[in-house]
Amino acid sequence: MTEPTRYADRPEWSDVAPIEQYESTTPLAPIFYTNEYKDATNYFRGIVKIGEKSGRVLELTEHIIRLNPAHYTAWQYRYETLIAIDSDLRKELELMDELAITHLKTYQVWHHRRLLMLKIREPLPELEFIARTFKVDAKNYHTWSYRQWLLAYFNDDELWSAELDFVEDLLYADIRNNSAWHHRFFTVFQSGVHEGEEDRERVLKREMIYVKQSISLVPNNASAWNYLRGILEHNSTPYSKMITFVEPYTLSMDEQTADLVDLDNPPPSKGAHLPCALAIEFLADIYEVQGGDSMLKATELWKSLGNEHDVARKKYWEYRIREGLRALQA
Amino acid sequence: MSGTSENFYLPSLARAAHAGHVTRCLSGLPDSQVDLDSGRMAIAFYCLGSLDLLKMVQERTSETDRESWREWIWEQQTSGNYGSGFRPSPFMTGSMSVEETKYTDYDTPHIIMTYTALLTLAILRDDFSRLDKEGILSFLKACQREDGSFSTVPGGGETDLRTLYCAFVVSHLLDDWSGVSVERALSFIASCRSYEGGYGQFTHCEANGGTTYIAMAAIHLAPVTSNPLTPSEIRKTIEWAAHKQLQSGGFCGRTNKLADACYCFWIGGSLKILGAGDLVDSRSLASFLASCQFKFGGIAKAPGEHSDPYHTYLSLAALSMFPPPISANDANSSSWVFDALDPLINAREETAKWARTHIAIRR
Repeated sequence: MTEPTRYADRPEWSDVAPIEQYESTTPLAPIFYTNEYKDATNYFRGIVKIGEKSGRVLELTEHIIRLNPAHYTAWQYRYETLIAIDSDLRKELELMDELAITHLKTYQVWHHRRLLMLKIREPLPELEFIARTFKVDAKNYHTWSYRQWLLAYFNDDELWSAELDFVEDLLYADIRNNSAWHHRFFTVFQSGVHEGEEDRERVLKREMIYVKQSISLVPNNASAWNYLRGILEHNSTPYSKMITFVEPYTLSMDEQTADLVDLDNPPPSKGAHLPCALAIEFLADIYEVQGGDSMLKATELWKSLGNEHDVARKKYWEYRIREGLRALQA
Repeated sequence: MSGTSENFYLPSLARAAHAGHVTRCLSGLPDSQVDLDSGRMAIAFYCLGSLDLLKMVQERTSETDRESWREWIWEQQTSGNYGSGFRPSPFMTGSMSVEETKYTDYDTPHIIMTYTALLTLAILRDDFSRLDKEGILSFLKACQREDGSFSTVPGGGETDLRTLYCAFVVSHLLDDWSGVSVERALSFIASCRSYEGGYGQFTHCEANGGTTYIAMAAIHLAPVTSNPLTPSEIRKTIEWAAHKQLQSGGFCGRTNKLADACYCFWIGGSLKILGAGDLVDSRSLASFLASCQFKFGGIAKAPGEHSDPYHTYLSLAALSMFPPPISANDANSSSWVFDALDPLINAREETAKWARTHIAIRR
């Protein structure tokens, strides 16, 4: 690959005085810059010094950003320039579509996008763009954070209308995608009541069926169990209401008795790996709240987790036993 | 010690090789790492911090080096319209001439770099006589937003929980909280709590190990008389965190993700701060980190990956909180011995003590 012509050799830049980076003789962790980066940043410092905001500044800052997407000052100056010269922000967004996918894990890419969106104020196509980036990485934190911000900030019914379908597609592709489960919780319970979701009892029932069916399909999935706990707590429903559903998951395959199809309590699927440690933990939580004699049942379950079903966390289960006994004595 | 964790084999920790890795990074980074240009102060902290945890600062660096590094860090302290603080590096600085004493809007201090500069100066045992305390308090004030969060630089940049933690540690070290609104900051932290029991990077975000540590440390640093968390909230956070240690001994940062060495610190540290450090299986943790050692020095995020100063430092910091129980059969057991770490400000206890006494005295 040939290096682009240096700014120092380009007549159209000859009016700008480049400024070398100051560095003392014994710097900490100096970076051995390429000549291309040195040249571009020398001219950038020169431009910033004279305060020029023009079309060529966009060219220069894009160049620097491509070399170093974490150069937050280049981003900051670029944004100010876009506004100052009344540049086409939609065109900028198109460029960002490319840069966001190349530099998915860089804070600045997403911060710049937020600033653009605050001006453009058309969030709907953004949701489609994000869906495309999830094909590259469906758990990227910055992207999810940006999506949650978009929805909460612009917060209109049209924007929310397809959100549950979107989450369902992602969970269909990967039932253990915790980011998608989290987003489901945010959409259904933590962002107000959206159009069509006014009947909260129906919504709660729907979510219960959804998460139970998911557990039935893949019982050893902490994301689904956390979601179940989350909606119970959010709706002040005691865990004990789940006892009929949970119990079969705490038994081995041979001990399964259910043969009737009970929609409220879907049984473990045929190939499930049982007993399920997450279910045993849930059942123990139910017994712990009941207290009294049930505490002994909880203790037995914690012991079985520490000794057999979840030995990697033995210290945690010993702690639960200690805490349980202490509560009993108090 | 549990029966299972004894099964984890513990090779030796290659202390000299890890010191070599961070010493090389201190003396220079290849151009492929140019994206660290605007975060060099943090890299310096991870490198010198690693040497400090290994207790090799004296052995691996000369007094001349340390003196010139202190000088370099002080050169990054800058003051202007938004108060004083430290820049990441001179990446936007053309000269240090006297006529340009005030920073421009494009070369301001950075809140994360201010935190890492103070800790690095403490590691280098600086006397902090040049610290512009009043200026730093104004700078913190300029970074705090209405919702209680802090931006990385005054008037711009991203805001999230990381910067809030930095503002809290700086206030704690200065022993002066007049630069921040603690109440608004705590309410921002509360808005980042997720139904899982951990904390996200921003309001509405998924629970994550790094930001859960930051939330826990910030809450415990805050000058308030009672813990703003209820006992059941604390229990739930412990439960969430304890479930992040995986069979390999490593920790993952979010539910259903893979283990990454840095979360041994972030989640281990959260548990430690919550008084539940004994729930960490320190032997399997050490075994996991041993497997993340890179053959040419340094520790990587996962076995088979390349090492870097960030994962090296955080792994050593995790080991300082959770040194493994040693059995007679272990090879080179002394390689796993560490001084204790101050989990709230993230420094070796002796360094933390130095920072507290020498920074606060500048009132």
